[in-house]
Amino acid sequence: MSVETHAQSHHEHPDVVGSRNRLGLILLLVADISFALAVLFVYFYLKGQNVNDMWLPKASDTQDATVPVSSMGAWYVTIIAALGLLFHRYGLAGAKARNQTQLVLGSGVAFVASLAALIYQGIQMNNAPFTITMGAYASCYYLIAGLNMVHLFLTVFVSLGNWNRSRLGIYSADHWHVEIVKVWWTWMTISSLLGAFALSFT
Amino acid sequence: MTTMMDRPAATPGHSAPKKALIERLNIFTAFALGIIGAIVFYYVAKAILPANTDGSYIKSNNDQYVIFSMIGWFIGFMTGIGALIGPFRWLLGKDLNHDENMFYAGKDQGVKRYFRYTTDHKVVGIQYLVLTMIIFFVGGVLAMLIRTNLGHAGGGWLQPQTYNAIVGTHGIIMIVGTIIMITGPFGNFIMPIMIGARDMAFPRLNALSLWLIIAAVPCILSSFFLGGISTGWVAYNPLASQAPAGMDGYIMFICIFALSTMVAGANITTTVIKMRAKGMTWNRTPIFIYGVVASVALALPAFPVFFLSQVMSGMDRAAGSTFYNTMGGGSGWLYENLFWIMGHPEVYVILIPGVAALMEMAPVFTRRPLFSFNLAIMGIAGISGLSILVWAHHMYTTGWAPLLNGPFMLTTELISIPTGLLFLVLIGTLWRGRLWMTMPTASIYALLWNFMIGGITGIYLSDVPVDGALHGSMYVTAHFHYTLMGAGLTGALASLVYWFPKMTGRMFDKTLSWIGFWFVQIGFNIAFISMFFVGLAGQPRRVEAYAAMFSRGNMITTGGAYLIMAGMLVLLYGVISSWTGGVKAPMNPWFAKTLEWSVPNPVPLENFDVLPVVTSDAYGYGKAQS
Amino acid sequence: MSDLEAPKRPSVFERKDIKQTVYFWVVFTAIIGYAAAELQARSMGVSASETMSTTIHMMRVFTWVAAPIAGLVAAMAMTTLISKIHFGDTPPEEADHQIRNATKLSATWLIVSSVLCLFAVVWGTVVLQKDNAALLNPQAMNVNVTGQQWAWNFDYIDNGTVRSQDLYLPVNKPVVFHITSKDVIHGFWIVQMGIKVDANPGYTTETSATPNKIGIYDLRCAELCGLYHAFMQTKVHVVSQADYDAWIKSQGGQA
Repeated sequence: MSVETHAQSHHEHPDVVGSRNRLGLILLLVADISFALAVLFVYFYLKGQNVNDMWLPKASDTQDATVPVSSMGAWYVTIIAALGLLFHRYGLAGAKARNQTQLVLGSGVAFVASLAALIYQGIQMNNAPFTITMGAYASCYYLIAGLNMVHLFLTVFVSLGNWNRSRLGIYSADHWHVEIVKVWWTWMTISSLLGAFALSFT
Repeated sequence: MTTMMDRPAATPGHSAPKKALIERLNIFTAFALGIIGAIVFYYVAKAILPANTDGSYIKSNNDQYVIFSMIGWFIGFMTGIGALIGPFRWLLGKDLNHDENMFYAGKDQGVKRYFRYTTDHKVVGIQYLVLTMIIFFVGGVLAMLIRTNLGHAGGGWLQPQTYNAIVGTHGIIMIVGTIIMITGPFGNFIMPIMIGARDMAFPRLNALSLWLIIAAVPCILSSFFLGGISTGWVAYNPLASQAPAGMDGYIMFICIFALSTMVAGANITTTVIKMRAKGMTWNRTPIFIYGVVASVALALPAFPVFFLSQVMSGMDRAAGSTFYNTMGGGSGWLYENLFWIMGHPEVYVILIPGVAALMEMAPVFTRRPLFSFNLAIMGIAGISGLSILVWAHHMYTTGWAPLLNGPFMLTTELISIPTGLLFLVLIGTLWRGRLWMTMPTASIYALLWNFMIGGITGIYLSDVPVDGALHGSMYVTAHFHYTLMGAGLTGALASLVYWFPKMTGRMFDKTLSWIGFWFVQIGFNIAFISMFFVGLAGQPRRVEAYAAMFSRGNMITTGGAYLIMAGMLVLLYGVISSWTGGVKAPMNPWFAKTLEWSVPNPVPLENFDVLPVVTSDAYGYGKAQS
Repeated sequence: MSDLEAPKRPSVFERKDIKQTVYFWVVFTAIIGYAAAELQARSMGVSASETMSTTIHMMRVFTWVAAPIAGLVAAMAMTTLISKIHFGDTPPEEADHQIRNATKLSATWLIVSSVLCLFAVVWGTVVLQKDNAALLNPQAMNVNVTGQQWAWNFDYIDNGTVRSQDLYLPVNKPVVFHITSKDVIHGFWIVQMGIKVDANPGYTTETSATPNKIGIYDLRCAELCGLYHAFMQTKVHVVSQADYDAWIKSQGGQA
């Protein structure tokens, strides 16, 4: 009879732990994807219904007409996020090749990119030519931008940790953490792209 | 199947000279920091938010303050319980070492571990059990208030506003209670042992899922002091945007609870997929595991949609957005869609584990194999798959898309086919078995009876023309109580009696379990069968007064409700008395073959000294035929 | 028993438990079907439109279709219950077989339930089409319904500017309701006519009925709409065409 000792269970192979964590993250992403798709549903449902013709309110005595913002801003955020993703993958390739310098460089630049995207997204929300109260389109714009902010905020946290841990040399033995961060980066970029896509239809 | 060895001598505790942060945090620090957080956020919001002058759609700043305070409470509470230590240790690159993980798992902490952010799945299971009982107690008291008020026609002694608030709170708190009633206590305590694992895949997320709910409950309870949830549990907009600040408590409650289901869903699903014992192939995995996974996995895509609907509801109330406000291009139908996209899968989130738990018990108490294991899986999978395509049958009469009523009628009625399979499996297992009469065995019968009534009335309601007569009446209320309570709660109560010996080390008092069972089941059927008839005669749901013609039915329902209450109190007394002074349970009191009965009482910290290797499924009962 | 004679297996229908089950099945089906169909149909009360009559009829038929299934489950459960029952703290003897599957039975079960399901869907769809077609009836009269917290207003748009808080309808004349709301969602429900549709702010929804019996009926709000939801109800007066015309004139409209 094969007897596994008590102590061994605490030293599971990193690949086993890694694949378990990867599955866990993907399942969490199922929830987040569902959330993001529901946001798109909200956008297109309200746009399609155009209740009381107030998707884009016309000018009235008390307020100006709502003019949709250009979706270019959202696309720029997506591009910055995609750049971050590319650098993260570059770092991951470094980890695989056991090239510590490349890992630190890639994850460092990725962190900077996530921070830049977060700040840029914040500036855009601040500079929007309407407030959230001005009709369904304005509300949806803030919803999409807000979701992006939350995603980017999480990305800043994760990529900062990733860079810090790379710097400390924790990933020299196994690098499944970096792989998992990549999965998150990928989804975050896609979600940002979906938002930009939606905002391209006014 | 399993080899038991003496546990190796415990390693001497590595007590650090100075108490580390994680050793100082517990439920009291959590509440303290939560309250401080709420107060700080309240004053910060008051200071920085501009007073509402432009009078757009916001009524006052009140909602903003309430929501900010609750966010402050939430952040403070989670910090105070120590949920943030893990992530920040990761950020700093100082991962928890073995001793710290053992501390988190509650090693050598006695009863204190039940008041901490403990990661041991058995501790979490017990915490869930107590939490569920508290939630049911609150919800039950509210239910009794409702029934007492409806005892006679023409309005009772409750003010309309109070009555509506009680109905709404009863609804949502019971929904949450029933969602966690099986996957919480038994999914956490029993499931990992049943699959032969030492713990969950992500023990810290496990604790997180529990403490999120504990952080959420004060939000819903506080709504009583903020005007109440006067909208029913569905909180339809635009009614919800009119509601007093109690609605903000509902919104925060749902948002936090959605996070909890998301975390629990990912955790439990990963555990089952990745951590089953050697040799436990999918066709040797017990059916209860399928039920739990179907339930939590279904919640994964469903609850975020509910989360979003409440985020938008909160934005409408506090920030003046117009998602549901038709004056600003919003739509009430949008809310109804989002709500029911969650709302229907959620029904099966509640129901499936209850049925699966009874399927797990049926072979044990009939001493024969589970009939048609494959059909049971097909049934569970079929229900789960179809359930995400049926939401609009709650909206037949809203008029949002009359052309879609036909297709949704089709998908809804298709669900009766996999549901029928569940009946086939249960009745096939009972058939020609040798019945061992216990409270769980009787619960199988109760489930067949109640779920049959719930199912057939569901067929009437799924038919669009018939729904035109019955929607929004007491008939619907009775129908879903038959499915969620008659089937789901019956399964949960049976699970409690069945797994009580493993969870507490003591047998559930037999006499009390029988008394409780009969009171609950008889009271339940009296209460809700008569509710069907007042519904058919035309009494709307959620009314605090009704025409004199409905008084007899309502009086009978109220009487039945009191019987249910008596039964539940007997069961509660049974839990307390058996837990504290019951007969010590043997390792395997039911002579069952699943793995959780192969570990000693109390279950050691990591369940198995030697991980089991599984060679057959757990249903090898009956005499082999020669 | 002689070794030469193989023990004769009784045919399925000679077995005691099967006989018992069949007996129970017949009895239970009859009881369940009759009780559920009749009690339910009776408590639905007066029918004041063909829609309601159809609904009551559908409830009856669905019940009778479902009764054999419920009866079978109950019969099998009952046979087991009365044959081998064991109390005590230790388990009974193991069952004398290990049957895990019965392919034919399962297939039959699946097919039967699918056919019944199909029947329900097809019939429901047919009735639904009829209800939908009724909305387009050009002979129908039109009534605008406005819900607000906590009252109903009816505008008889075919008869000038007549507005009332009680609904008046001529008997045997198709009517199409155009329903909307001023504030929150209400549910427009004429109980005895079996029709219901929500009144939504920002939208207009439609439903139709042909009242076929003179009398006074109940109109209730079916969607929780706030403080006095329970009291948001009014009466529907179905009267003869002559009485209706007279009433319209008394309200200042033209018949």
